[in-house]
Amino acid sequence: MTTSSATPAVLADGLGMDFRAPVRPPGLRAALASVVRPRYRTVRAVRGLEFALRPGEVAGFLGPNGAGKTTTMKMLAGILHPTAGTARVLGRVPWRRERSLLRRIALVRGSRPLGGPEELTVLDTLRFQRLLYEVPDAEFRRNLAELGELLELAELMGRQVRALSLGERMRAGLAAALVHRPRVLFLDEPTIGLDVAAAAAVRAFLAGYAERTAATVLLTSHHMPDVEALCRRVLLIERGRVRYDGALDRLAAELAPHQLVRVTPAVAGATAEWERFGTVQERGEGGRVALRVPRAEVPRVVGELLARLPVAELAVEEPPLEAVLARFHQEDAE
Amino acid sequence: MRGFARLLAVACWRESVTWWSLRSFLITLIVDQSVAPLLGLLVWTAAAPGAHGVTSYYLALAAVQLLTVSFEQHTFANAVYDGTFADTLVRPQPALLGAVATNLAIRFWYGVFGLPVVVAAAAATGALPRPAALLAAVPSLLLAMALRFCLTCGASFSAFWTQRAHGAVSLMETLLFLLGGMAAPLALLPGPGAAVGRLLPFWAALGAPAEVASGQADVLQVLPVQLGWLVVLVGAVALLWRRGLRRFAAVGG
Repeated sequence: MTTSSATPAVLADGLGMDFRAPVRPPGLRAALASVVRPRYRTVRAVRGLEFALRPGEVAGFLGPNGAGKTTTMKMLAGILHPTAGTARVLGRVPWRRERSLLRRIALVRGSRPLGGPEELTVLDTLRFQRLLYEVPDAEFRRNLAELGELLELAELMGRQVRALSLGERMRAGLAAALVHRPRVLFLDEPTIGLDVAAAAAVRAFLAGYAERTAATVLLTSHHMPDVEALCRRVLLIERGRVRYDGALDRLAAELAPHQLVRVTPAVAGATAEWERFGTVQERGEGGRVALRVPRAEVPRVVGELLARLPVAELAVEEPPLEAVLARFHQEDAE
Repeated sequence: MRGFARLLAVACWRESVTWWSLRSFLITLIVDQSVAPLLGLLVWTAAAPGAHGVTSYYLALAAVQLLTVSFEQHTFANAVYDGTFADTLVRPQPALLGAVATNLAIRFWYGVFGLPVVVAAAAATGALPRPAALLAAVPSLLLAMALRFCLTCGASFSAFWTQRAHGAVSLMETLLFLLGGMAAPLALLPGPGAAVGRLLPFWAALGAPAEVASGQADVLQVLPVQLGWLVVLVGAVALLWRRGLRRFAAVGG
Protein backbone atom coordinates (compact mmCIF):
# COMPACT_ATOMS: atom_id res chain seq x y z
CA MET A 1 0.00 0.00 0.00
CA THR A 2 1.31 3.43 -0.88
CA THR A 3 0.29 6.79 0.47
CA SER A 4 -0.37 9.79 -1.70
CA SER A 5 0.63 13.25 -0.58
CA ALA A 6 -3.03 13.90 0.29
CA THR A 7 -3.12 10.93 2.67
CA PRO A 8 -1.73 11.80 6.08
CA ALA A 9 1.47 9.97 6.93
CA VAL A 10 0.37 9.91 10.56
CA LEU A 11 -3.23 10.16 11.64
CA ALA A 12 -4.63 10.08 15.18
CA ASP A 13 -8.40 9.86 15.20
CA GLY A 14 -9.93 10.16 18.65
CA LEU A 15 -6.97 8.28 20.08
CA GLY A 16 -7.33 7.47 23.76
CA MET A 17 -5.50 5.35 26.28
CA ASP A 18 -6.64 4.46 29.78
CA PHE A 19 -4.48 2.54 32.20
CA ARG A 20 -5.78 0.70 35.24
CA ALA A 21 -3.55 1.43 38.19
CA PRO A 22 -3.93 -0.59 41.40
CA VAL A 23 -4.66 1.55 44.46
CA ARG A 24 -5.06 0.82 48.16
CA PRO A 25 -4.93 2.71 51.43
CA PRO A 26 -1.75 2.38 53.51
CA GLY A 27 -1.28 -0.28 56.15
CA LEU A 28 -1.09 -4.06 56.52
CA ARG A 29 -4.86 -4.59 56.69
CA ALA A 30 -5.39 -2.78 53.41
CA ALA A 31 -2.50 -4.72 51.87
CA LEU A 32 -4.13 -8.02 52.87
CA ALA A 33 -7.58 -6.87 51.74
CA SER A 34 -6.19 -5.86 48.35
CA VAL A 35 -5.29 -9.50 47.70
CA VAL A 36 -8.96 -10.50 47.95
CA ARG A 37 -10.51 -7.32 46.60
CA PRO A 38 -8.02 -5.43 44.49
CA ARG A 39 -9.09 -1.88 43.66
CA TYR A 40 -8.09 0.07 40.61
CA ARG A 41 -8.10 3.64 39.50
CA THR A 42 -8.41 4.49 35.84
CA VAL A 43 -5.66 6.78 34.64
CA ARG A 44 -6.61 8.59 31.45
CA ALA A 45 -3.22 9.01 29.82
CA VAL A 46 -4.51 10.16 26.44
CA ARG A 47 -8.00 11.45 25.57
CA GLY A 48 -9.57 11.92 22.17
CA LEU A 49 -6.36 12.92 20.45
CA GLU A 50 -6.93 14.26 16.94
CA PHE A 51 -4.20 15.31 14.55
CA ALA A 52 -2.71 14.47 11.20
CA LEU A 53 0.79 14.88 9.81
CA ARG A 54 1.30 15.32 6.10
CA PRO A 55 4.08 13.33 4.41
CA GLY A 56 7.33 15.20 4.96
CA GLU A 57 5.99 17.29 7.82
CA VAL A 58 8.10 17.75 10.95
CA ALA A 59 6.07 18.40 14.08
CA GLY A 60 6.99 18.88 17.69
CA PHE A 61 4.95 17.14 20.33
CA LEU A 62 5.23 19.17 23.50
CA GLY A 63 3.87 18.88 26.97
CA PRO A 64 4.88 18.44 30.58
CA ASN A 65 5.90 15.10 32.05
CA GLY A 66 2.90 12.80 32.26
CA ALA A 67 0.96 14.68 29.58
CA GLY A 68 0.72 11.56 27.40
CA LYS A 69 3.44 12.26 24.83
CA THR A 70 5.34 9.00 25.17
CA THR A 71 2.10 6.99 25.43
CA THR A 72 0.94 8.55 22.14
CA MET A 73 4.31 7.89 20.57
CA LYS A 74 4.13 4.25 21.70
CA MET A 75 0.65 3.86 20.21
CA LEU A 76 1.75 5.34 16.91
CA ALA A 77 4.84 3.12 16.86
CA GLY A 78 2.69 0.04 17.46
CA ILE A 79 3.84 -0.82 20.99
CA LEU A 80 0.59 0.07 22.75
CA HIS A 81 -2.97 -0.71 21.76
CA PRO A 82 -5.28 2.25 22.44
CA THR A 83 -8.44 1.90 24.48
CA ALA A 84 -10.28 4.39 22.26
CA GLY A 85 -10.09 5.75 18.74
CA THR A 86 -7.76 4.67 16.04
CA ALA A 87 -4.58 5.67 14.26
CA ARG A 88 -2.97 5.18 10.88
CA VAL A 89 0.71 5.39 10.07
CA LEU A 90 1.44 5.29 6.35
CA GLY A 91 -2.11 4.03 5.96
CA ARG A 92 -1.67 1.11 8.35
CA VAL A 93 -2.93 0.44 11.85
CA PRO A 94 0.34 0.55 13.80
CA TRP A 95 -0.49 -1.91 16.59
CA ARG A 96 -1.07 -4.66 14.06
CA ARG A 97 2.71 -4.46 13.63
CA GLU A 98 2.72 -5.48 9.99
CA ARG A 99 6.28 -5.93 8.80
CA SER A 100 5.64 -3.83 5.73
CA LEU A 101 4.94 -0.91 8.09
CA LEU A 102 7.70 -1.66 10.60
CA ARG A 103 10.25 -1.60 7.77
CA ARG A 104 9.25 1.99 6.98
CA ILE A 105 9.21 3.54 10.45
CA ALA A 106 11.72 4.07 13.23
CA LEU A 107 11.53 5.03 16.87
CA VAL A 108 14.59 6.72 18.36
CA ARG A 109 14.70 7.17 22.11
CA GLY A 110 17.27 9.46 23.57
CA SER A 111 17.26 7.43 26.77
CA ARG A 112 18.23 4.28 24.84
CA PRO A 113 19.63 5.29 21.50
CA LEU A 114 21.30 2.03 20.51
CA GLY A 115 20.03 -1.43 21.45
CA GLY A 116 21.54 -4.85 20.88
CA PRO A 117 24.63 -6.58 22.21
CA GLU A 118 27.13 -4.09 23.55
CA GLU A 119 30.17 -6.21 22.77
CA LEU A 120 29.63 -5.81 19.05
CA THR A 121 31.08 -2.99 17.02
CA VAL A 122 29.00 -0.19 15.55
CA LEU A 123 29.48 -1.64 12.07
CA ASP A 124 28.26 -5.07 13.27
CA THR A 125 25.14 -3.40 14.61
CA LEU A 126 24.54 -1.51 11.38
CA ARG A 127 25.00 -4.68 9.32
CA PHE A 128 22.41 -6.45 11.46
CA GLN A 129 20.03 -3.57 10.79
CA ARG A 130 20.60 -4.06 7.08
CA LEU A 131 19.57 -7.69 7.40
CA LEU A 132 16.63 -6.89 9.64
CA TYR A 133 15.21 -4.22 7.36
CA GLU A 134 16.17 -6.09 4.20
CA VAL A 135 18.07 -3.14 2.78
CA PRO A 136 19.67 -4.04 -0.58
CA ASP A 137 23.45 -4.10 -0.36
CA ALA A 138 24.08 -1.19 -2.74
CA GLU A 139 21.48 0.97 -1.00
CA PHE A 140 22.95 0.07 2.39
CA ARG A 141 26.42 1.11 1.28
CA ARG A 142 25.09 4.36 -0.15
CA ASN A 143 23.06 5.21 2.96
CA LEU A 144 25.89 4.22 5.26
CA ALA A 145 28.38 6.41 3.40
CA GLU A 146 26.03 9.35 3.65
CA LEU A 147 25.13 8.81 7.31
CA GLY A 148 28.75 8.09 8.16
CA GLU A 149 29.81 11.42 6.72
CA LEU A 150 27.00 13.46 8.29
CA LEU A 151 27.31 11.83 11.70
CA GLU A 152 31.13 11.54 11.57
CA LEU A 153 31.00 7.82 12.20
CA ALA A 154 34.27 6.79 10.53
CA GLU A 155 36.23 6.39 13.73
CA LEU A 156 33.29 4.82 15.58
CA MET A 157 32.63 2.01 13.11
CA GLY A 158 35.19 -0.39 14.56
CA ARG A 159 34.49 0.43 18.19
CA GLN A 160 32.44 -1.69 20.56
CA VAL A 161 29.09 -0.21 21.52
CA ARG A 162 29.85 -0.52 25.23
CA ALA A 163 32.87 1.76 24.84
CA LEU A 164 30.92 4.65 23.30
CA SER A 165 30.04 7.84 25.11
CA LEU A 166 26.39 8.92 25.23
CA GLY A 167 26.90 11.37 22.38
CA GLU A 168 28.63 8.71 20.27
CA ARG A 169 25.87 6.25 21.07
CA MET A 170 23.28 8.71 19.87
CA ARG A 171 25.17 9.25 16.62
CA ALA A 172 25.51 5.51 16.09
CA GLY A 173 21.88 4.98 17.18
CA LEU A 174 20.67 7.52 14.64
CA ALA A 175 22.63 5.77 11.92
CA ALA A 176 21.14 2.42 12.98
CA ALA A 177 17.62 3.86 13.01
CA LEU A 178 17.98 5.63 9.68
CA VAL A 179 20.03 3.22 7.61
CA HIS A 180 16.82 1.79 6.12
CA ARG A 181 15.57 5.31 5.33
CA PRO A 182 12.33 5.26 7.36
CA ARG A 183 9.51 7.34 5.97
CA VAL A 184 8.16 8.09 9.43
CA LEU A 185 10.47 8.85 12.30
CA PHE A 186 9.38 9.07 15.93
CA LEU A 187 11.98 10.90 18.00
CA ASP A 188 11.53 10.67 21.74
CA GLU A 189 13.82 13.16 23.51
CA PRO A 190 16.69 12.67 21.04
CA THR A 191 19.07 15.05 22.81
CA ILE A 192 18.41 14.04 26.41
CA GLY A 193 21.63 13.86 28.40
CA LEU A 194 23.79 15.24 25.59
CA ASP A 195 26.15 18.16 26.10
CA VAL A 196 25.52 21.40 24.24
CA ALA A 197 27.83 20.61 21.32
CA ALA A 198 26.56 17.05 20.86
CA ALA A 199 22.93 18.18 21.08
CA ALA A 200 23.57 20.89 18.48
CA ALA A 201 25.21 18.34 16.17
CA VAL A 202 22.27 15.94 16.51
CA ARG A 203 19.80 18.78 15.86
CA ALA A 204 21.68 19.92 12.78
CA PHE A 205 21.80 16.38 11.46
CA LEU A 206 18.09 15.76 12.05
CA ALA A 207 17.09 19.03 10.42
CA GLY A 208 19.18 18.17 7.37
CA TYR A 209 17.93 14.59 7.28
CA ALA A 210 14.26 15.60 7.41
CA GLU A 211 14.76 18.12 4.61
CA ARG A 212 16.78 15.78 2.42
CA THR A 213 14.64 12.65 2.73
CA ALA A 214 11.21 14.27 3.20
CA ALA A 215 10.59 11.91 6.09
CA THR A 216 7.66 12.65 8.37
CA VAL A 217 8.97 13.36 11.86
CA LEU A 218 7.18 13.54 15.18
CA LEU A 219 9.48 14.84 17.89
CA THR A 220 9.03 15.01 21.63
CA SER A 221 11.52 17.07 23.54
CA HIS A 222 11.74 19.23 26.62
CA HIS A 223 14.61 21.11 24.98
CA MET A 224 13.18 24.08 23.13
CA PRO A 225 16.27 24.44 20.91
CA ASP A 226 15.40 21.00 19.48
CA VAL A 227 11.88 22.11 18.66
CA GLU A 228 12.94 25.51 17.34
CA ALA A 229 15.58 23.94 15.10
CA LEU A 230 13.36 21.24 13.68
CA CYS A 231 9.67 22.05 13.82
CA ARG A 232 7.49 24.63 12.18
CA ARG A 233 4.42 23.03 13.63
CA VAL A 234 3.90 22.04 17.23
CA LEU A 235 1.24 20.13 19.08
CA LEU A 236 0.97 21.03 22.71
CA ILE A 237 -0.57 18.26 24.76
CA GLU A 238 -1.98 18.76 28.19
CA ARG A 239 -3.46 16.00 30.33
CA GLY A 240 -3.87 13.77 27.32
CA ARG A 241 -5.56 16.38 25.10
CA VAL A 242 -4.23 18.60 22.35
CA ARG A 243 -4.28 22.13 23.69
CA TYR A 244 -2.56 23.83 20.76
CA ASP A 245 -1.93 22.64 17.22
CA GLY A 246 -0.35 25.16 14.92
CA ALA A 247 2.70 27.10 13.87
CA LEU A 248 5.56 27.26 16.31
CA ASP A 249 5.92 31.02 15.87
CA ARG A 250 2.28 31.53 16.90
CA LEU A 251 2.56 29.38 20.02
CA ALA A 252 3.81 32.15 22.28
CA ALA A 253 1.15 34.52 20.98
CA GLU A 254 -1.54 31.94 21.73
CA LEU A 255 -0.36 31.03 25.17
CA ALA A 256 1.39 34.05 26.61
CA PRO A 257 -0.85 36.91 27.74
CA HIS A 258 2.19 39.20 27.74
CA GLN A 259 4.82 40.49 25.35
CA LEU A 260 8.26 41.84 26.06
CA VAL A 261 8.96 45.47 25.28
CA ARG A 262 12.71 46.13 25.21
CA VAL A 263 13.69 49.75 25.60
CA THR A 264 17.13 51.36 25.32
CA PRO A 265 17.06 55.01 26.46
CA ALA A 266 18.83 57.53 24.21
CA VAL A 267 20.68 58.94 27.18
CA ALA A 268 22.66 56.39 29.14
CA GLY A 269 21.64 56.43 32.76
CA ALA A 270 18.29 58.04 32.03
CA THR A 271 15.80 56.90 34.58
CA ALA A 272 12.12 56.43 34.24
CA GLU A 273 9.33 55.00 36.30
CA TRP A 274 9.29 51.79 34.32
CA GLU A 275 6.68 50.21 36.57
CA ARG A 276 4.15 52.65 35.12
CA PHE A 277 4.55 50.93 31.74
CA GLY A 278 4.85 47.29 32.75
CA THR A 279 6.64 44.77 34.92
CA VAL A 280 10.41 45.07 34.68
CA GLN A 281 11.74 41.65 33.71
CA GLU A 282 15.39 42.46 32.98
CA ARG A 283 17.74 45.39 33.47
CA GLY A 284 20.84 45.77 31.33
CA GLU A 285 23.75 48.13 30.77
CA GLY A 286 23.06 51.72 29.78
CA GLY A 287 19.65 51.67 31.41
CA ARG A 288 18.22 49.06 29.04
CA VAL A 289 15.12 47.31 30.36
CA ALA A 290 12.78 44.57 29.27
CA LEU A 291 9.17 45.19 30.31
CA ARG A 292 6.49 42.55 30.54
CA VAL A 293 3.35 44.16 29.18
CA PRO A 294 -0.13 42.64 28.76
CA ARG A 295 -0.57 41.88 25.07
CA ALA A 296 -3.62 44.14 24.65
CA GLU A 297 -1.82 47.13 26.18
CA VAL A 298 1.34 46.91 24.09
CA PRO A 299 0.30 49.54 21.46
CA ARG A 300 -0.65 52.05 24.16
CA VAL A 301 2.52 51.41 26.19
CA VAL A 302 4.76 51.71 23.13
CA GLY A 303 3.07 54.98 22.18
CA GLU A 304 3.52 56.39 25.66
CA LEU A 305 7.15 55.32 25.86
CA LEU A 306 7.98 56.99 22.57
CA ALA A 307 6.09 60.13 23.51
CA ARG A 308 7.51 60.56 26.98
CA LEU A 309 11.08 59.27 26.79
CA PRO A 310 14.10 59.84 24.57
CA VAL A 311 14.29 56.30 23.21
CA ALA A 312 17.28 55.02 21.22
CA GLU A 313 15.84 51.60 20.51
CA LEU A 314 12.52 49.92 21.13
CA ALA A 315 11.53 46.39 20.23
CA VAL A 316 8.47 44.27 20.92
CA GLU A 317 9.18 40.56 21.26
CA GLU A 318 7.35 37.41 22.07
CA PRO A 319 8.57 35.97 25.36
CA PRO A 320 11.04 33.04 25.10
CA LEU A 321 9.21 29.81 24.28
CA GLU A 322 10.75 28.02 27.23
CA ALA A 323 9.40 30.64 29.61
CA VAL A 324 5.95 30.47 28.00
CA LEU A 325 5.82 26.70 28.26
CA ALA A 326 7.16 26.68 31.80
CA ARG A 327 4.42 29.12 32.78
CA PHE A 328 1.82 27.10 30.89
CA HIS A 329 2.90 23.84 32.55
CA GLN A 330 2.82 25.53 35.93
CA GLU A 331 -0.69 26.87 35.37
CA ASP A 332 -1.76 23.45 34.11
CA ALA A 333 -0.41 21.76 37.24
CA GLU A 334 -2.28 24.27 39.42
CA MET B 1 11.81 -18.97 5.85
CA ARG B 2 15.32 -18.64 4.40
CA GLY B 3 15.34 -15.03 5.46
CA PHE B 4 14.37 -15.99 9.01
CA ALA B 5 17.04 -18.71 9.16
CA ARG B 6 19.66 -16.17 8.08
CA LEU B 7 18.40 -13.64 10.59
CA LEU B 8 18.47 -16.26 13.36
CA ALA B 9 21.98 -17.35 12.36
CA VAL B 10 23.27 -13.77 12.50
CA ALA B 11 21.43 -13.14 15.78
CA CYS B 12 23.04 -16.30 17.22
CA TRP B 13 26.44 -15.10 16.02
CA ARG B 14 25.88 -11.71 17.69
CA GLU B 15 24.94 -13.35 20.96
CA SER B 16 27.82 -15.84 20.71
CA VAL B 17 30.28 -12.97 20.38
CA THR B 18 28.72 -11.32 23.40
CA TRP B 19 28.94 -14.47 25.51
CA TRP B 20 32.48 -15.17 24.36
CA SER B 21 33.46 -11.86 25.87
CA LEU B 22 31.80 -13.02 29.10
CA ARG B 23 33.71 -16.32 29.09
CA SER B 24 34.90 -16.15 32.70
CA PHE B 25 31.30 -15.67 33.83
CA LEU B 26 30.26 -18.43 31.43
CA ILE B 27 32.68 -20.88 33.07
CA THR B 28 31.27 -20.10 36.53
CA LEU B 29 27.77 -20.75 35.13
CA ILE B 30 28.90 -24.08 33.68
CA VAL B 31 30.40 -25.12 37.00
CA ASP B 32 27.15 -24.07 38.69
CA GLN B 33 25.06 -26.14 36.29
CA SER B 34 27.34 -29.16 36.73
CA VAL B 35 27.11 -29.25 40.51
CA ALA B 36 23.64 -30.84 40.74
CA PRO B 37 24.35 -33.84 38.45
CA LEU B 38 27.74 -34.43 40.08
CA LEU B 39 26.14 -34.28 43.51
CA GLY B 40 23.51 -36.77 42.35
CA LEU B 41 26.27 -38.99 41.05
CA LEU B 42 28.12 -38.96 44.38
CA VAL B 43 24.99 -39.47 46.48
CA TRP B 44 23.52 -42.31 44.44
CA THR B 45 26.86 -44.06 43.93
CA ALA B 46 27.18 -44.15 47.72
CA ALA B 47 23.50 -44.84 48.47
CA ALA B 48 22.99 -47.55 45.85
CA PRO B 49 26.42 -49.00 45.12
CA GLY B 50 24.97 -51.93 43.19
CA ALA B 51 22.64 -49.85 41.04
CA HIS B 52 23.36 -50.38 37.39
CA GLY B 53 24.51 -47.45 35.24
CA VAL B 54 24.28 -44.65 37.83
CA THR B 55 27.60 -43.16 36.72
CA SER B 56 26.84 -43.22 33.02
CA TYR B 57 23.34 -41.84 33.69
CA TYR B 58 24.53 -38.87 35.72
CA LEU B 59 27.35 -38.05 33.32
CA ALA B 60 24.86 -38.14 30.45
CA LEU B 61 22.54 -36.00 32.58
CA ALA B 62 25.33 -33.45 33.10
CA ALA B 63 25.71 -33.21 29.31
CA VAL B 64 21.93 -32.88 28.85
CA GLN B 65 21.78 -30.22 31.55
CA LEU B 66 24.49 -28.18 29.79
CA LEU B 67 22.82 -28.46 26.41
CA THR B 68 19.25 -27.78 27.51
CA VAL B 69 19.63 -25.12 30.16
CA SER B 70 17.59 -21.97 29.51
CA PHE B 71 17.79 -18.50 30.98
CA GLU B 72 14.75 -16.71 29.62
CA GLN B 73 14.02 -15.30 33.09
CA HIS B 74 17.21 -13.29 32.66
CA THR B 75 16.99 -12.56 28.94
CA PHE B 76 13.32 -12.22 28.05
CA ALA B 77 11.76 -11.35 31.42
CA ASN B 78 14.40 -8.74 32.21
CA ALA B 79 13.85 -7.18 28.77
CA VAL B 80 10.16 -6.81 29.66
CA TYR B 81 11.06 -5.23 33.00
CA ASP B 82 13.67 -2.79 31.68
CA GLY B 83 11.59 -1.79 28.66
CA THR B 84 13.94 -3.05 25.95
CA PHE B 85 11.29 -5.58 24.91
CA ALA B 86 9.16 -2.65 23.69
CA ASP B 87 11.97 -1.68 21.31
CA THR B 88 11.89 -5.10 19.67
CA LEU B 89 8.19 -4.65 18.92
CA VAL B 90 9.01 -1.69 16.69
CA ARG B 91 11.40 -3.74 14.59
CA PRO B 92 10.40 -6.03 11.72
CA GLN B 93 11.54 -9.16 13.49
CA PRO B 94 9.99 -12.00 15.48
CA ALA B 95 9.77 -10.55 18.97
CA LEU B 96 11.37 -13.66 20.49
CA LEU B 97 14.34 -13.64 18.10
CA GLY B 98 16.72 -12.25 20.72
CA ALA B 99 15.65 -14.75 23.40
CA VAL B 100 15.99 -17.71 21.03
CA ALA B 101 19.37 -16.52 19.75
CA THR B 102 20.70 -16.02 23.28
CA ASN B 103 19.43 -19.44 24.30
CA LEU B 104 21.24 -21.14 21.41
CA ALA B 105 24.41 -19.08 21.90
CA ILE B 106 24.63 -19.97 25.60
CA ARG B 107 24.06 -23.65 24.88
CA PHE B 108 26.74 -23.52 22.20
CA TRP B 109 29.34 -22.17 24.62
CA TYR B 110 28.17 -24.53 27.37
CA GLY B 111 28.82 -27.35 24.94
CA VAL B 112 32.21 -26.02 23.89
CA PHE B 113 33.48 -25.52 27.44
CA GLY B 114 31.51 -28.14 29.35
CA LEU B 115 31.20 -31.20 27.12
CA PRO B 116 34.95 -31.99 26.94
CA VAL B 117 35.00 -32.15 30.75
CA VAL B 118 32.00 -34.50 30.81
CA VAL B 119 33.54 -36.70 28.11
CA ALA B 120 36.85 -36.79 29.97
CA ALA B 121 35.05 -37.75 33.18
CA ALA B 122 33.15 -40.50 31.35
CA ALA B 123 36.38 -41.82 29.83
CA ALA B 124 38.13 -41.73 33.20
CA THR B 125 35.32 -43.63 34.93
CA GLY B 126 34.80 -46.07 32.09
CA ALA B 127 31.24 -44.79 31.62
CA LEU B 128 31.45 -43.77 27.98
CA PRO B 129 28.10 -44.44 26.29
CA ARG B 130 27.77 -46.89 23.44
CA PRO B 131 27.80 -45.10 20.07
CA ALA B 132 24.40 -46.59 19.13
CA ALA B 133 22.81 -45.34 22.36
CA LEU B 134 24.43 -41.97 21.88
CA LEU B 135 23.06 -41.72 18.35
CA ALA B 136 19.61 -42.77 19.52
CA ALA B 137 19.70 -40.03 22.17
CA VAL B 138 20.21 -37.25 19.63
CA PRO B 139 16.52 -36.78 18.62
CA SER B 140 15.52 -37.08 22.26
CA LEU B 141 18.09 -34.44 23.19
CA LEU B 142 16.82 -32.06 20.49
CA LEU B 143 13.28 -32.47 21.78
CA ALA B 144 14.48 -31.93 25.35
CA MET B 145 16.16 -28.69 24.23
CA ALA B 146 12.89 -27.48 22.76
CA LEU B 147 10.88 -28.63 25.79
CA ARG B 148 13.18 -26.93 28.29
CA PHE B 149 13.03 -23.72 26.28
CA CYS B 150 9.22 -23.91 26.24
CA LEU B 151 9.05 -24.56 29.99
CA THR B 152 11.42 -21.71 30.89
CA CYS B 153 10.01 -19.36 28.32
CA GLY B 154 6.44 -20.08 29.41
CA ALA B 155 7.32 -19.41 33.05
CA SER B 156 9.21 -16.26 32.00
CA PHE B 157 6.13 -14.95 30.22
CA SER B 158 4.73 -14.34 33.70
CA ALA B 159 6.80 -11.13 33.39
CA PHE B 160 3.85 -9.75 31.42
CA TRP B 161 1.68 -9.94 34.55
CA THR B 162 4.00 -9.82 37.54
CA GLN B 163 7.37 -8.53 38.66
CA ARG B 164 8.27 -12.01 39.89
CA ALA B 165 9.04 -14.01 36.75
CA HIS B 166 12.28 -15.18 38.37
CA GLY B 167 10.21 -16.83 41.10
CA ALA B 168 8.01 -18.63 38.56
CA VAL B 169 11.08 -19.96 36.75
CA SER B 170 12.64 -20.94 40.07
CA LEU B 171 9.57 -23.02 40.90
CA MET B 172 9.74 -24.66 37.49
CA GLU B 173 13.46 -25.41 37.99
CA THR B 174 12.70 -26.99 41.36
CA LEU B 175 10.10 -29.27 39.79
CA LEU B 176 12.62 -30.09 37.08
CA PHE B 177 15.18 -30.99 39.74
CA LEU B 178 12.77 -33.14 41.74
CA LEU B 179 10.80 -34.80 38.96
CA GLY B 180 13.12 -34.54 35.99
CA GLY B 181 15.59 -37.18 37.11
CA MET B 182 18.14 -34.89 38.70
CA ALA B 183 17.47 -35.50 42.41
CA ALA B 184 17.17 -39.20 41.70
CA PRO B 185 17.06 -41.33 38.55
CA LEU B 186 13.38 -42.16 37.99
CA ALA B 187 14.26 -45.86 37.92
CA LEU B 188 15.22 -45.59 41.59
CA LEU B 189 11.98 -43.91 42.69
CA PRO B 190 9.74 -46.05 44.88
CA GLY B 191 6.27 -47.33 43.92
CA PRO B 192 4.50 -45.75 40.99
CA GLY B 193 6.79 -42.71 41.19
CA ALA B 194 8.86 -43.82 38.21
CA ALA B 195 5.85 -44.56 36.02
CA VAL B 196 4.18 -41.23 36.84
CA GLY B 197 7.45 -39.32 36.47
CA ARG B 198 7.95 -40.69 32.97
CA LEU B 199 4.67 -39.14 31.94
CA LEU B 200 5.57 -35.63 33.12
CA PRO B 201 7.14 -32.88 31.01
CA PHE B 202 10.02 -32.44 33.48
CA TRP B 203 11.50 -35.86 32.77
CA ALA B 204 10.85 -35.38 29.05
CA ALA B 205 12.87 -32.14 29.20
CA LEU B 206 15.82 -33.47 31.21
CA GLY B 207 16.12 -37.11 32.25
CA ALA B 208 14.75 -38.76 29.10
CA PRO B 209 17.71 -38.20 26.76
CA ALA B 210 20.14 -39.08 29.57
CA GLU B 211 18.37 -42.41 30.10
CA VAL B 212 18.46 -43.11 26.35
CA ALA B 213 22.17 -42.19 26.12
CA SER B 214 23.05 -44.40 29.07
CA GLY B 215 21.08 -47.29 27.62
CA GLN B 216 18.38 -47.33 30.30
CA ALA B 217 15.40 -46.35 28.16
CA ASP B 218 14.21 -47.16 24.70
CA VAL B 219 14.13 -44.09 22.49
CA LEU B 220 10.97 -45.34 20.78
CA GLN B 221 9.13 -45.21 24.11
CA VAL B 222 10.61 -41.84 25.04
CA LEU B 223 9.97 -39.91 21.82
CA PRO B 224 6.14 -40.15 21.86
CA VAL B 225 6.07 -38.70 25.37
CA GLN B 226 8.41 -35.90 24.39
CA LEU B 227 6.53 -35.14 21.18
CA GLY B 228 3.23 -35.12 23.03
CA TRP B 229 4.52 -32.65 25.59
CA LEU B 230 6.09 -30.54 22.88
CA VAL B 231 2.71 -30.16 21.18
CA VAL B 232 1.07 -29.28 24.51
CA LEU B 233 3.80 -26.85 25.59
CA VAL B 234 4.09 -25.11 22.23
CA GLY B 235 0.32 -24.58 22.35
CA ALA B 236 0.49 -23.30 25.92
CA VAL B 237 3.44 -21.01 25.17
CA ALA B 238 1.68 -19.63 22.08
CA LEU B 239 -1.44 -18.93 24.13
CA LEU B 240 0.53 -17.27 26.93
CA TRP B 241 2.45 -15.26 24.35
CA ARG B 242 -0.69 -13.93 22.69
CA ARG B 243 -2.31 -13.04 26.01
CA GLY B 244 0.92 -11.60 27.37
CA LEU B 245 1.43 -9.47 24.32
CA ARG B 246 -2.14 -8.21 24.59
CA ARG B 247 -1.52 -7.35 28.21
CA PHE B 248 1.77 -5.63 27.35
CA ALA B 249 0.04 -3.63 24.63
CA ALA B 250 -2.55 -2.57 27.19
CA VAL B 251 -0.21 -1.52 29.97
CA GLY B 252 3.10 -0.90 28.23
CA GLY B 253 5.11 -3.25 30.43
